[in-house]
Amino acid sequence: MDVVVDGVSQAWGSAQTRVVALDRISHRFRSGTFSCILGPSGCGKSTLVQIVGGIETPTEGAIRVEGGAAASAPGAHSVMVWQSLNLFPWRNVIDNVAFGLEMQGMPKAERYERAVALIASVGLKGFERHLPGQLSGGMRQRVALARALVLERPILLMDEPFGALDAQTKIVMQEELLRIFEATKKTIIFVTHAIEEAILLGDEVVVMTARPGRIKEVVTVDLPRPRSIEMINSPAFGKLFDRAFHLIREEVNTAMAQQAQTLSEHA
Amino acid sequence: MSSSSSARVSWAELAWPGLSVVLVLAIWEMLVRWRGIQPIFLPAPSSIVYYLWQMLLDGTMEYHLGVTLLRILVGFFVASVCGVALGLLMGMSRVVARIADVWIAAFYPLPKISLIPLLIIWLGTGEAYRIVISAITAFFPVVMSTYAGIRQADRGLIKAAQDLGASIGQVQFKVVMPAAMPSILSGLQLGMGVTIIMIVAAEMIGGSSQSGMGYLLVNSGQVMETEKVFAALVVLAIAGAAIIKLQQWGDRKIAPWISDER
Repeated sequence: MDVVVDGVSQAWGSAQTRVVALDRISHRFRSGTFSCILGPSGCGKSTLVQIVGGIETPTEGAIRVEGGAAASAPGAHSVMVWQSLNLFPWRNVIDNVAFGLEMQGMPKAERYERAVALIASVGLKGFERHLPGQLSGGMRQRVALARALVLERPILLMDEPFGALDAQTKIVMQEELLRIFEATKKTIIFVTHAIEEAILLGDEVVVMTARPGRIKEVVTVDLPRPRSIEMINSPAFGKLFDRAFHLIREEVNTAMAQQAQTLSEHA
Repeated sequence: MSSSSSARVSWAELAWPGLSVVLVLAIWEMLVRWRGIQPIFLPAPSSIVYYLWQMLLDGTMEYHLGVTLLRILVGFFVASVCGVALGLLMGMSRVVARIADVWIAAFYPLPKISLIPLLIIWLGTGEAYRIVISAITAFFPVVMSTYAGIRQADRGLIKAAQDLGASIGQVQFKVVMPAAMPSILSGLQLGMGVTIIMIVAAEMIGGSSQSGMGYLLVNSGQVMETEKVFAALVVLAIAGAAIIKLQQWGDRKIAPWISDER
């Protein structure tokens, strides 16, 4: 299932205070492709992925899912893994993971069976009855991932999911995600501001400009799969990194100048 | 290693407050005995304990305490059911919220105790008056905390639930209400506190039933039995602390995730 972003713009505020977050974005996220959206902070990359997921409605343009079943509501084929995880703190691991199935009205025995299998597959066997508050950051991240995967929707949206993790845990989670992608061949759209992460994970890196967010360039990552963290030291990786870094550097400078201006206006 | 040192800390934490209580009581006892203070002004702790023991033996204390606890429970129950129900309705319907807001804004700042004369005119000095005055007082913190909890439910959780396929109704019952639970429970704790105050106050004013801890306090004070006044205060303090501890324990059972989060 391809996800087609067609001339999507997003703006907030009234005529005087209008802030354009996204400016006429068009891109085709191909079925079974791991796409990373890379951009400076405040460039609207989170907004874009939320629009793709049907969580936000764009002021202009549309999202289409092509191929597969008949067209349905935006977001029906996708599920989001949030930057802030958004686990339900009153639900234990199994009930968090089974939440989506429970909402569909699936009987308890069946949804628990599927949740238990997924919890085991992300390495949390034995923690089914723990509350999110009793888990470490990396374990919570796994719960959030399992909660999204259990719905078996073909498109997985991830909004800087590993941003809050420490360096070691982040590497483990990146390898976990690579393993899941290579096993399930889902379409993944992954938002990040870390260049190495984008190249390590993605088949393509969609580089965005500072606000108003436009697509600056799409870098194709031709590193072989299965990927592993060791590839970071390869010359091919280094070349891709340099290219992406070159693209993103001036956008980061622009974004910082914008933020400085906003601050001085508010002062 | 770490567990033994933390155990030592908790021993000290337990020992010092207890020791301070013993010390204050000892100084009190010595002062009363050495300076020959009249028991009508300040009885010694030992004689308070003696009176307390007598009142426990002849059953007067149990009777008055039991009556008061029963009234507290009924008043709290009425206030909780009405307060949580209205708070939830306000959270779900903007119209209800608008209407209720006006009435809450008008009545909340009013000291509820000032309604006592009116309620006595309408209801007399029987059980109805005591239950109503305490329920009205406790109703406000409960309804306001419930509504605030619903309104402040984490937007991120709501969005995530919708993304996972929850309907509007499912979001309300499976996300918004549990998310409001910490706020509702703290409203109920505030409500319990004022219920205890208002029941005892109502027993002190217009105590036609001649029962309850408030009546015992006023009556013992009027006949200058200061030992009984102190004995009643001790029992009230212990009962109040027990109710609040019990409620906190119940809250942890109902919502164990709250302590994990903080």
